[in-house]
Amino acid sequence: MYNLFGAAFRIAAKDIAIELRTRTAFMSALVFAILVLAILYFARDPTSVGAADIAPGALWVTFTFAAMIGLNRAFLLEKENAAIDGLILTDVSKSAIFIGKVLGNLAFVFVVEFVSLPLFVLFYNLDITAQIPGLILVIVLATVAFVSVGTLLSSMVVRTRFAELMLPLLLLPFLVPPIVSAVQVTSRLLAGRPLSEVTGWLNLLGGFDVAFVTLSILLFEATLAE
Amino acid sequence: MISPGNNAEPEKTDDCVLSVSGVTRTIAYHKILKGVSFDLMRGDALAVVGPNGAGKTTLLRVLTGLSRATTGKVDLRGSQGFVGHSSMLYDALSAEENLKFFSHLHGVAGNGVVANVLEMVGLEDRKHDRVATFSRGMTQRMSIARALLSDPELLYLDEPLSGLDDRSSTAVIGILRSLRSRGHAIVFVTHNFSAVAALATRVGYLVGGKMVLIEKVEERSAEQISERYREVVEHV
Repeated sequence: MYNLFGAAFRIAAKDIAIELRTRTAFMSALVFAILVLAILYFARDPTSVGAADIAPGALWVTFTFAAMIGLNRAFLLEKENAAIDGLILTDVSKSAIFIGKVLGNLAFVFVVEFVSLPLFVLFYNLDITAQIPGLILVIVLATVAFVSVGTLLSSMVVRTRFAELMLPLLLLPFLVPPIVSAVQVTSRLLAGRPLSEVTGWLNLLGGFDVAFVTLSILLFEATLAE
Repeated sequence: MISPGNNAEPEKTDDCVLSVSGVTRTIAYHKILKGVSFDLMRGDALAVVGPNGAGKTTLLRVLTGLSRATTGKVDLRGSQGFVGHSSMLYDALSAEENLKFFSHLHGVAGNGVVANVLEMVGLEDRKHDRVATFSRGMTQRMSIARALLSDPELLYLDEPLSGLDDRSSTAVIGILRSLRSRGHAIVFVTHNFSAVAALATRVGYLVGGKMVLIEKVEERSAEQISERYREVVEHV
């Protein structure tokens, strides 16, 4: 049997190669991210609301909704031509398929976040130089949490008629805890507070990661059953 | 009563690659398959024919493991490949990239396996082209190439000639006949009696989820098989 992580990396690399060729989801997510950042920036009254007050919310709204575009597409790719059946019929485990899809989605979301973050800094005129390590940590922890559960739900809803509507609906309850934690950490970091002050929130995010990734791997096989 | 024209079931030997016994499949209280049983030997090609909704595709999905049998047993002795209604390929990738990807997942990458299967299906000159640019016939040959990557003892095909013109059909039949002659066992579902006459060693009539009869094809023509099919379906 092809080893679990070798197969997972192959699947992720395949997803990335397809996205690099088509660029459909990436361009949609990027345009969406720029649009949201711009709208939220211009909707703010700078005399009554400071940039640092609204920035954490704007950042996570942007990241979350842009990621949703990628997550929606994750299993549509496998549904076209029933490619998922081709994957199932190979010797790789279902866990490898899931981990591969998660890695592909993480790469997609991280690139969107990496491109959006400088725009966010530009729009809100923030100096985040000192907070970069902390911000990267919270972005990685929160992204892993919602991408893992989002990938699981994406595989579940892809066979339904209203997949694009169902995913955000089902994802919402799982999205709230990590996003609330991420917003809390981000707002403190942008206010110049030390990382040690948000250790509790970061531990909570780490806990969500462990729980969401483990449960998603365990439940994934059931989503493939007919 | 339908009389079995000639021997319905071969004697089970060490050459048996597939043994199916009492397979049922129920979906939402509706019995799609009702106790299907048969054995398949190396070099055997079983054509499964039956009206629409008889459970042919469901049978293939249960045999491949893509669907679970509600009851009964599918005993596969060897590796399998499946060519379904859909190509199971990625349109945005080239023929070679698709096959390389699946060869890695099958754990058979290297040793020229991709070049071999591309040559077998006659697509080596189109290996750098994206699958999205392929005709239906070429896509079907690519599906067969994908299914052959692991050199399976048993190949399942769901309507392999559906939507193909005469030239493509002849090419696909040629590939499958060559596989059969090399000892691969084949199970294929079809509505095309010419394909049954050209490829099958036995034909199974699946009606209302029941395999009502399995008999040898021998030297019968497509018209004779079609006539026999009508006779079987009318008597069920």
